[in-house]
Amino acid sequence: MKVGSVRRRTLIALAFLLPNLLGFLIFTAGPIVFSLYMSLTDWSLTKHNQFSDQPLQFVGFDNYAKILWGSESEFFWDYFENTLFLMIGIPISIAGSLVLAIMLSTKCTPTRLGSRLKSALIAGGVTVLACLGAWLVTTPTMDPAFADEAARAVMSDETGLTDLSGFQVATLRSHAAILAVAVLGGLITFGLGIGQVFFRTVFYLPTLLAGVAMFLLWKTLYRPKGGLVNAVLQPVLDTLDATVGAVPPFMWYALGVVIWLITLALCVKLVLVGLDRLKHNEAGIAAFCARLGIVATLGATGWFVGYWSAQLPERALLPTGLAPITAAQLDSVSTDLQALASGDASLIAGAIEELKAIAPVPVEQTVESLVKPATVAGVELASLSQAVESNAGASFDGYTAGEGLQAPEWLISATWAKTALIVMGVWLGIGGGNMLLYLAGLSNIPPELYEAASIDGASGWQQFIHVTWPQLAPTTFFIVIMSTIGGLQGGFEQVMIMTQGKADTRVLAYYQYELAFTDQFQLGLASAVGWVMTGFIFVLTAVNFRLGSQLTND
Amino acid sequence: MAQVTLESVRKVYGKDVVAVESFGLDIADGEFIVLVGPSGCGKSTTLRMVAGLEEITGGTVRIGERVVNNVLPKDRDIAMVFQNYALYPHMTVYKNMAFGLTLRKMPREEISKRVNEAADLLGISHLLERKPKALSGGQRQRVALGRAIVREPSVFLFDEPLSNLDAKLRATTRTEIKRLHKRLRTTTIYVTHDQTEAMTLGDRIVVMSDGKVQQVDTPLGVYKRPANRFVGAFVGATPMNFVEGKIESADDGLWFTAPAANSMPGVRIRMTDDVSGRLAEHTGKPLTLGWRPSAMSEHAEGKFAIFGNQITLRTAVVEPLGKNIDVSCELPDGSHVLARIDAREDFPVGEDVPFYLDMDHVHIFEPSEFGRNLSHPART
Amino acid sequence: MSKQQLAASEQLDVVGRKPFPLVRALVFVGLVLLGITFVLPFVWQVLISVSSLTDVDLLTQLGYPPDLKPENYGEVFEKVEFARYFFNSIFIAGWATLLQVITCAMAAYAFARLSWPGRDKVFFLYLGTLMVPGVVLMVPNFVIVLRLGMFNDYLGLIIPAAFSAYGTFLLRQFMLTVPSSLDEAAAIDGASHWRIFTQIMLPMARPGLIVLAIFAFLFNYNSFFWPLILIKDDNLRTLPIGLMAFDSTYGRDTPLIMAGSLMAMIPPIIVFLVLQKYLVKGIQLGAVKG
Repeated sequence: MKVGSVRRRTLIALAFLLPNLLGFLIFTAGPIVFSLYMSLTDWSLTKHNQFSDQPLQFVGFDNYAKILWGSESEFFWDYFENTLFLMIGIPISIAGSLVLAIMLSTKCTPTRLGSRLKSALIAGGVTVLACLGAWLVTTPTMDPAFADEAARAVMSDETGLTDLSGFQVATLRSHAAILAVAVLGGLITFGLGIGQVFFRTVFYLPTLLAGVAMFLLWKTLYRPKGGLVNAVLQPVLDTLDATVGAVPPFMWYALGVVIWLITLALCVKLVLVGLDRLKHNEAGIAAFCARLGIVATLGATGWFVGYWSAQLPERALLPTGLAPITAAQLDSVSTDLQALASGDASLIAGAIEELKAIAPVPVEQTVESLVKPATVAGVELASLSQAVESNAGASFDGYTAGEGLQAPEWLISATWAKTALIVMGVWLGIGGGNMLLYLAGLSNIPPELYEAASIDGASGWQQFIHVTWPQLAPTTFFIVIMSTIGGLQGGFEQVMIMTQGKADTRVLAYYQYELAFTDQFQLGLASAVGWVMTGFIFVLTAVNFRLGSQLTND
Repeated sequence: MAQVTLESVRKVYGKDVVAVESFGLDIADGEFIVLVGPSGCGKSTTLRMVAGLEEITGGTVRIGERVVNNVLPKDRDIAMVFQNYALYPHMTVYKNMAFGLTLRKMPREEISKRVNEAADLLGISHLLERKPKALSGGQRQRVALGRAIVREPSVFLFDEPLSNLDAKLRATTRTEIKRLHKRLRTTTIYVTHDQTEAMTLGDRIVVMSDGKVQQVDTPLGVYKRPANRFVGAFVGATPMNFVEGKIESADDGLWFTAPAANSMPGVRIRMTDDVSGRLAEHTGKPLTLGWRPSAMSEHAEGKFAIFGNQITLRTAVVEPLGKNIDVSCELPDGSHVLARIDAREDFPVGEDVPFYLDMDHVHIFEPSEFGRNLSHPART
Repeated sequence: MSKQQLAASEQLDVVGRKPFPLVRALVFVGLVLLGITFVLPFVWQVLISVSSLTDVDLLTQLGYPPDLKPENYGEVFEKVEFARYFFNSIFIAGWATLLQVITCAMAAYAFARLSWPGRDKVFFLYLGTLMVPGVVLMVPNFVIVLRLGMFNDYLGLIIPAAFSAYGTFLLRQFMLTVPSSLDEAAAIDGASHWRIFTQIMLPMARPGLIVLAIFAFLFNYNSFFWPLILIKDDNLRTLPIGLMAFDSTYGRDTPLIMAGSLMAMIPPIIVFLVLQKYLVKGIQLGAVKG
């Protein structure tokens, strides 16, 4: 609608726009320019503040040089590597989102309201009955056998608990069983009654709640001892252990070789098909490169799995060679930790030696990572030593002395911490926005396409390859681009909350925070880091666009 | 109540996309004017310039005595019915109709009186508390009409108001709009692409194409004396048949001829004496003969019994319509023409059949798409 | 979904055939099993939050805490200024959301419906800034907020969040889907731009406003980095920062941490359950820009 004179229209528009435009200029457009300028100066809050206002030095591209190949480059590239490593979770998460979306759009629950209610009612009833059943079956009676000292001893052996009677333990187990039945039954009942929306909501919950509270929960889940992850994982590993022990080692070597061979065959086949297509002009160079990428990933995975399975017997049967830790040693550990907290260099050195002598490898690494940021603020060190104490404490009793496969000490171990973050990231993101986008994409595919494909005789998998996947290509393209951009910038919160930057988990965003807001307050340098990250993002996005536009046109 | 005057109105989008060119028209007080033309012909743009929704690039628009080029829509004393009705979805029917009156700070009793009257008139009194979502297409249409009526404006503007209705509802609503206009006698400008609507509703019709006015006349005037080939093809239930040829002079008068070819007979029609005078100067030049399919008969009786009005065509397909049949015929040059004649069984297909033309509806045009009507020039 | 699509989806699933009952059952079982992995951590969290410190390991081994200790929840409020954090978070997120929706809606109207010289250029500038990653803005914004005297202040958290190029873009897209004949009808009915904006556009763009409000609220409620560098006083801390500090002082008291984090999760859940429909739409719509 174009009404009234230009002057009048401009004035009206300005009235509507002004509040937002002001904020936009001050907090978005302005800072971009400002940031570019800052990155070319030695701006630091220690030098330029209300108390000491030294003249600002224009340093040209020194900051960039420092980051990319100068004094800071060691940290920068290290953290960049960590960032890239954490981004391994992105393709996994995207694939998972697609699978979830496809599962959700399968009409696996009744569609009509009547049958929905009916099935939910039945499932609910069964659940209540099952809970009752679990209660009847598992609730211990005041059986004399439980009061019996012998039974108590059995229970103690099994659980390592002495202050609970067998009866109490049985009661708790009974409660847990009822709870488990109730949770399972609840999921089934609501799933049948509400259908897709219910599961969608459940899958979306982690994304919705992703924040400090969620990371604290996962920090607890990942505790080496007493954490849910290892509580679930350790029995699995033990079973695996037993299996490995029961199977003759040469079988494992054979398995490894077979996996290698299969992977090799697959890779060769993929490359040959790709070459063939390239020759017949059915696909471009980019598509071929993408294929090579897939081959490389597949090959690496296959090699790793094969290698790992061939190694299994040795790993499982190899004793760690550490003697069980005594109570006296435990005492000295806590003294050592106090020494660490004191910050006294000579005490620290002694403490490290002592700890090294008695502790298994992970503790050594923890101690190292503990000493590195000794300059960091006192609060952080305190919380850190505390974390070490509780976690290290966990590794002193029970689990360390054994042999065979041990569940990882997730957030403490430099080997596993990034993996822990990836696993959590996948859990957080798999049912989030990407899944919703795929759901929308799937529902937008005209059903006629499937009808035509099935008339043409395409199988379910062929329909996925020839209809679903190409139709979803624009969605995938969008998701990949947005996830890459997010992944390069992300990770700060997780690292800050869950590892406090230890265990080799620092990412670029954390680095920027560290430069700008701790210690030296080097705002100029931090700005430069921001722009280098922006450069990476632009390059990656450009690559995505090139590959994507070729692949989506296939 | 007001007359509307458009004087050489122009609309140019951007630098050089001309949407409307030198549109001039005097609309009398109480007149019902229909702008008709294919989509993209500039008819909606013209209407929106009258409404004040589009800037006027050049020329002047007057409502009453006032030049309204720079007057805001709300101050033009007009009401408009949109193609998609533009009912406010979050307001009830009553509020939709009352909105404009409320904004004009009319007393509440007066608003309620007017809305109820209009609702009675349109038979939507029982719907007043519903929201547009709960209405059928026809009901929404009535609400949109009602919203325009309650304002009692001096000009009604309709922008394709019936095109979202199904065929049956369109016919009844059309009649209703006509009755409403009879009763209210408000100056009305009505835009449509449907020539039937234009013919049935308008006091006068403005046929537009390519941003230009092709003809302004009464419905029958446009039908009987199409100003050019485009109007002839556009107006009328079935498009005109055309055949290319030339005028030849013979002893017994002027004849329009097209040569025979492909073993099909040629065309040879004698021009009646009342048009011959106008055509004499065009003898020998390439021209187009146009006639309406309905102006054909199998039998040379009554008005078809004239010398030289016989045309022999190779019949191809017969489509029975009930009272009539449509016979699609082939011409020597490969094009097709239609004959709408009285129905009968066993009409021969694939044969050369003689037809007779009603010479009142036979026109001679200059050959291009907008070639002038030479035999029956339009009134000016 | 249209009726037609619904009818089609009754017969065909995503891989184009009516799935065998067995396949459907398997998919359902898969969904339930996956559901467990998503629900289990939360169940465990609830159980920890009501057990006593010494029982946490026991709980993990036995699946149920020996003693229920719901007093943990009260204790969280005694140990730290948890109520204060809660208030701060809601207060800041609430104001930021309200202001952001208002400024963005007004600007979006100017972009979507008003015609003025330079509109497309200014809009292009808005779009351009969307391409620049957020990491670039943090440092200069910190200096700007410092200079504006909003350091360690509610204002420093609210004011920068009261504008959003993305929100403006999102609402503009929403407003473009509103048929322009509606505001033309209103203009002929005699409405001024302000009236068209408040009485036609805002009600029509309501889903969009709600979507932006959810985004803005969740974002500001969960916001971590900004309050971390900007807030120094304990009584100005928002929940995420409060929780982090809580964890570093009482980190060994897992039940308390779990109780606190569980409570912090409640507002987003409420927002989601009430407005889920809009959020899903919004996420799917937000992708249109790609």
